[in-house]
Amino acid sequence: MKAAHSLHLLLGVVLLAGCQRSAEPPSQADAPRKITIALLPKSKGNAYFVSCKKGADRAARELGVELLFDGPTDPDPAKQNEIIENWITLGVDAIAAACENKEGISTALRKARARGIRVITYDADALPEAREFFVNQATPEGIGNALMDEAARLCGGEGEFAIITASLTAANMIEWQRCIEARRATRHPNMRMVALRPCDDLKDRAQAEATALLSAYPNLKLIMAICSPAVPGAAEAVKQAGKAGRVRVIGLGLPSENRRYVKEGVTDTVILWKTEDLGYLTVHAAHALVTGRLKAGDKTFRAGALGEFEIQGDNIVLGEPFAFTKDNIDQYDF
Amino acid sequence: MKGASRSVECWTWSRRALARHETALLLVLAVEFIAFNALGPRFGTTDNLFDILRHSCEIGLLALVMTPVILTGGIDLSVGSLLGLCAIGFGKLWRDVGLPIPLAAAGALAIGAAGGALNGWLITRLRLPPLIVTLGTFSLFRGLAEAITRGVDTFTNFPASFLFWGQERWLGVPAQLPLFVVVALGIWLLVHATRVGRSLRAMGFSPEGALYAGIPVARRLALVYVLAGLMAGLAAILYVARLGQARADAGTGYELFAITAVVLGGTSIFGGRGTVHGTLLGTAAIAVLNNGLVHARQPRELAGLLTGLLLIVALSLSVLPERFSLWRKALRRRHNPADTAP
Repeated sequence: MKAAHSLHLLLGVVLLAGCQRSAEPPSQADAPRKITIALLPKSKGNAYFVSCKKGADRAARELGVELLFDGPTDPDPAKQNEIIENWITLGVDAIAAACENKEGISTALRKARARGIRVITYDADALPEAREFFVNQATPEGIGNALMDEAARLCGGEGEFAIITASLTAANMIEWQRCIEARRATRHPNMRMVALRPCDDLKDRAQAEATALLSAYPNLKLIMAICSPAVPGAAEAVKQAGKAGRVRVIGLGLPSENRRYVKEGVTDTVILWKTEDLGYLTVHAAHALVTGRLKAGDKTFRAGALGEFEIQGDNIVLGEPFAFTKDNIDQYDF
Repeated sequence: MKGASRSVECWTWSRRALARHETALLLVLAVEFIAFNALGPRFGTTDNLFDILRHSCEIGLLALVMTPVILTGGIDLSVGSLLGLCAIGFGKLWRDVGLPIPLAAAGALAIGAAGGALNGWLITRLRLPPLIVTLGTFSLFRGLAEAITRGVDTFTNFPASFLFWGQERWLGVPAQLPLFVVVALGIWLLVHATRVGRSLRAMGFSPEGALYAGIPVARRLALVYVLAGLMAGLAAILYVARLGQARADAGTGYELFAITAVVLGGTSIFGGRGTVHGTLLGTAAIAVLNNGLVHARQPRELAGLLTGLLLIVALSLSVLPERFSLWRKALRRRHNPADTAP
């Protein structure tokens, strides 16, 4: 018992000594330090963010910065905050965050800013005062225009189409529908939207809705799926109904989830931005903010190999969405 | 008489085993500190130690109160979900009902205690196994939280005076630390210095025996589950103060972190044996590991793997010497069989 006690004491002393030693401020002597940029995805395993990281890595190599990439692997909402707080203590130069829960994360981001860390967001924004810039992957107009133009092109400018959405209440979905409708009214007045159906962001619900649409509207020329699970869902329904090629499918989704249908000719076009470019631009913007090359009020921003980007207010805009088709979809693996 | 002396022997053996276990844990903790200190220049700073304390506070509270629960041979899988429900209740009372923060906090504690009382009632009155009961309330509480908010409503914009308790420093330390110390002390005293604590262990060793010894088993059981619920309420308040938001998914998976910390701390999952300081060491070992990996620039996914490894190593370290002496005896017996002659 006594031996155990003294061992406890000894260990206690070691622990204390360990902390004491490094409680002194870190030495500033270590010459030209590499800039460290921390990139926070919504979740780490998501193919979308893995692809963002690819572009981010490329930018980090070009710029000679150290890139930390970390995010939650489990659905604990507190994790993003903890990771940011760890980075604050670690003393990174810039944090770029894709925010899962806006208000919660903004607390941590504000704290980072108070400690002199430059903060930007990408993919999903925080509260405006918690960050300096938001790298905006696509404006609602950009998405709406791209989808509607593609639909009109495939239908030859006239005919019936239906939209499958995630839910009738989601703010971003409503915004996209508004932009789609605006584009239809001004540019493609002969296109007619006959139905708008929610699928709760579920592939099998989307498939059921699409099947119902196919039998309810015999003249339907095209199904437009504006949430990512709905695109393969609608394609599967069209394929099973044997209407591939006669009823076309387009939508907003990941190339990887739709590759099969695109190559089979069921789905014509998948619209999304180039996620690699999003990661690339984000790291470039964070770096420029640290070095002082990017300041509030700038109107444009040049990001390495990708060239010039427009800045609207405090949003750095990635640009027009990209259309993945039979011809190019094999080049993208996210 | 013989039985009594054997039980005393058994007691001292288990006490010694526990002491050994805690020493092993302390060793593990020391290794973690030394390794991470060498790998990460900022790891040993006060700022970072405070980060560790703040991040592990809620899980630490749940682990503390899980110790007496497991000591009775029970388990509470519902604390994480109850944390979520209390967080939602707190937000609702403050924003929608318009109560001032202290009253809303009292409401959250009441919700927690009521949830715990439901567990206790089902376990003692209906005599259902705690694993089944709390598996049910695990879904029930989380489902309730999701139903109230429809899964999308988020409570936020809490006043700075409230967020202070989760984010700022008080008396030079993280504001929630003094509260944590008081709770830890209270639970320690309850388990190790009172008759109630002794009776909890007795119930874990032998429920029937405890009943025949005149221990009010049902009342004691109800007490530990109400306490667990109350603690989920307290953890919920600190959680909301730390994150600045309350959502239905608050505390997802925390019950398993808490149970892991308790078991790592040397408490037997079958009840009867374990200490509160062991639990604190277990919590610390996991928290330091999680934080240190970031400072050592290692992938965070290693944390889960290493926690599992830690659990196995610490548990085997504490039984190894016992096993070792048994092997030696067996070996000696084989060499001179005369020893075994009665």
